[in-house]
Amino acid sequence: MAKEVKTQNMELAKSLRQVDQEEYYVPGHRTCQGCGPALVYKLVSKAAGQDSIFLGPTGCMYVANTSYLCAPFAYNWMHTQITNGGAVASGIEAAYQVMIRKGKYKGPLPNIVVMAGDGGAIDIGLQAASAMMYRGHDVLFVMYDNESYANTGIQVSPATPYGANTTFTPPGKEVPEGRVLFPKDAPQLFIGGHPALHYVATASVAYPVDLINKCRKGLNYKGPAFVHLHAPCPKGWLFDARKTIEIAKLAIQTGMWVNYEWENGEYTYQHTPKEYKPVKEYMKDQYRFNHLTDAHYAKMQAFIDARLKAPGKPIAIPVQGPREQA
Amino acid sequence: MSKYSIPKHLEVPIGACLPSPVKEQPGMITGNWRTERPVIDHEACTTCLNCFIYCPDGCWHLDEKTEQMVWNADYCKGCMICVNECPANCLSTVNELEFPDGVIRLEKPF
Amino acid sequence: MAKEVFYSGCAAAAYGAKDARVEVISSYPIRPYTGIMMELSKLVANGELDAEFVLGEGEHAQVSIAYGASSAGARAYTGSSGVGVVYAMECYSPAAGGRLPCQMAIADRALDPPGDFGSEHTDVMSARDQGWIMGWAESPQEVYDNTIMFYKIGEDRRVLLPQFCCQDGYFVSHIPGKMQLEDQKAVDEFLPPFNSPHPLNPEKPINHGPQIYADQGSAIDVQRAMAFEGLPAVIEEVVADYNKQFGRSYSPFVDEYMMDDAEIAFFLQGGHARTARFAVNNLRKQGVKAGVARLRFVRPWPTDAVAESLSKVKAVGTIETSTSYGGATRGGNLVHELMASLYNVPNKPLVTSFMAGLGGEIVTLDMFYDMAKVLSGAVKNQKVNHSYWVNFEPEVPFRPE
Repeated sequence: MAKEVKTQNMELAKSLRQVDQEEYYVPGHRTCQGCGPALVYKLVSKAAGQDSIFLGPTGCMYVANTSYLCAPFAYNWMHTQITNGGAVASGIEAAYQVMIRKGKYKGPLPNIVVMAGDGGAIDIGLQAASAMMYRGHDVLFVMYDNESYANTGIQVSPATPYGANTTFTPPGKEVPEGRVLFPKDAPQLFIGGHPALHYVATASVAYPVDLINKCRKGLNYKGPAFVHLHAPCPKGWLFDARKTIEIAKLAIQTGMWVNYEWENGEYTYQHTPKEYKPVKEYMKDQYRFNHLTDAHYAKMQAFIDARLKAPGKPIAIPVQGPREQA
Repeated sequence: MSKYSIPKHLEVPIGACLPSPVKEQPGMITGNWRTERPVIDHEACTTCLNCFIYCPDGCWHLDEKTEQMVWNADYCKGCMICVNECPANCLSTVNELEFPDGVIRLEKPF
Repeated sequence: MAKEVFYSGCAAAAYGAKDARVEVISSYPIRPYTGIMMELSKLVANGELDAEFVLGEGEHAQVSIAYGASSAGARAYTGSSGVGVVYAMECYSPAAGGRLPCQMAIADRALDPPGDFGSEHTDVMSARDQGWIMGWAESPQEVYDNTIMFYKIGEDRRVLLPQFCCQDGYFVSHIPGKMQLEDQKAVDEFLPPFNSPHPLNPEKPINHGPQIYADQGSAIDVQRAMAFEGLPAVIEEVVADYNKQFGRSYSPFVDEYMMDDAEIAFFLQGGHARTARFAVNNLRKQGVKAGVARLRFVRPWPTDAVAESLSKVKAVGTIETSTSYGGATRGGNLVHELMASLYNVPNKPLVTSFMAGLGGEIVTLDMFYDMAKVLSGAVKNQKVNHSYWVNFEPEVPFRPE
């Protein structure tokens, strides 16, 4: 089983000018105006190129992109269940390993990419994602984070921030903040626990060249990689569609999103502001937070302040779980 | 069981496998979504490529021969991210109805 | 070189997969099929089979890995038993509808609750609406043969469907029987490498499985139904070729024993057919004209072959080995499709459902004699209950005097 399987080497872009003008995620998809995840798809597609196989677990980036009976993927793409993106990708990768070894396929290993949303990555799809990384398949697992189950009409997901109004966490007399729980930290679910996983990164549509390069670095690793990509959603977060990039930048400026890489045990941070703006700056322009009081903002600020002491690393969360509250 | 014929408009290829599109997906024309469109002043444009990189629908490209940005009328949804992110202020928002080709119509209703 | 061996059903399945040159295997342990994967892992580890042995994290993942591999153009193999089979349920339709001909070995097992390692067909029978080919083997030899034949059938361009290659847990999976492993070259000639018409291949990229609008749903469904329409002809071809090439004598759909002049018949699938044949021999000695009709494919259900096989008997009982609580006959699953097959037959036989072989119960010769008494009584009185739980005394006795 020792025959080496040739893989592609994706060159990092030094500037926006070096980014290929060619689109592999072509115009013509039913995503919302200003859709953050669609922009993520476009950028990841540029990162991976034509010689790729993308898997699309059910979610916005499946349904909205492929309605109806047409899809905008210039490369190979297949639908998967929301539960099994990692597993189907594993099967495809294993198939190519053996087909190349047996001479049934002559090319280098295609870039295999799973494009999962919050649910498909860290909720219902978590098992498959984790197993894929543990087994060491040469696949890039992308989590486009629009902080909800958006496709089904904006329901809460484990990536939804505290205090967000979603159709499963509406604010009311009993629950003034709406969303009570604090979200899972997606990269931390995978960092350190999967010996074959050496590269985890976060990126944002606010810094697209950085996003493309992190995806390419992940693809270049002969093994799994996980990238967590911030993808603001005008429809779910309730802000004007033209502000998608503005909101993404504000997230970084307030510390609500941190860009970093974890590579072979070392953390490096990108785009760290000299001074963090208060989280309210970011939250006030999104109607999903419109019901919050100062007390709620303070709770969010305390959480973010604690997290910023060591982004991406385990920290004590200074908030009470629902059972701990009086 | 008898064999059945499937009407053309309901035909689906076996296993729902379609050939991948090249350059665009005309099965989902979205140019008729917009109520306003971005208009570029080429003189003021610095070809910073922000509009190219930030458009979720890939509707801005640099024409390498003319070194000018080219806009895709068939698919632009009018989200105005490009206008919002342009550092040179060379993009303005104009109502669709100002244009003779404003509001692309599909041949048949969707 | 063909080799005579003494293998259990599990080993037979493993060697069938090996000779079929499967390329991607996804494993997960659950009794009683686990032996198949243990054997395959050894074959891969010592280089006898060049395949990727993927350690699945669960049965749902196993099937996902298998149909993923199939979508890339590789021949994929997986398997399970009992609750594992049902856990993977979400993945069956995507594999079948996506026309991805992977194979899943099933060594059946009773479903929870509570834990029960015994054989029962309910696990994969509950997936028979999902669009896969499905059939039971009665011996290790047939397990081996079916493994190879099912790939040939499923990968045929006219079919392109995944297959459940089933065997009775313990009775077939764990009891060794004399069988023949065929020469690898001969198998290669019978079963060439998988050549998918729609692989995810960078040389000709495809978008596989976009969202459809509701109107197109029934169009896709009728297309899938029509794939089953053409299937029996392919099965007949493949079985005939296999018989010729390897000297077997399988009927494609219904394996008949002493049915020519039978007045009562046992209708069943799987390993208990062996006991049934012994019972029939003994019943014949006592002047009871009994016969056995063993079903080889439950999907596609061979309506015409079943009707033809049973139309001349006077009473037939299905030995269910599976449950369908609350079903029309309060019996099992086979009886309903058997009745449907006989509905239009003039002078059709009386039909009843014998609930036997459930939860791992051994179906003994005595039980067959009891069932024969019921069937003979039915012929005499020209009536029969919808179902009988054999081995349990009913509060109102049903055995005829």
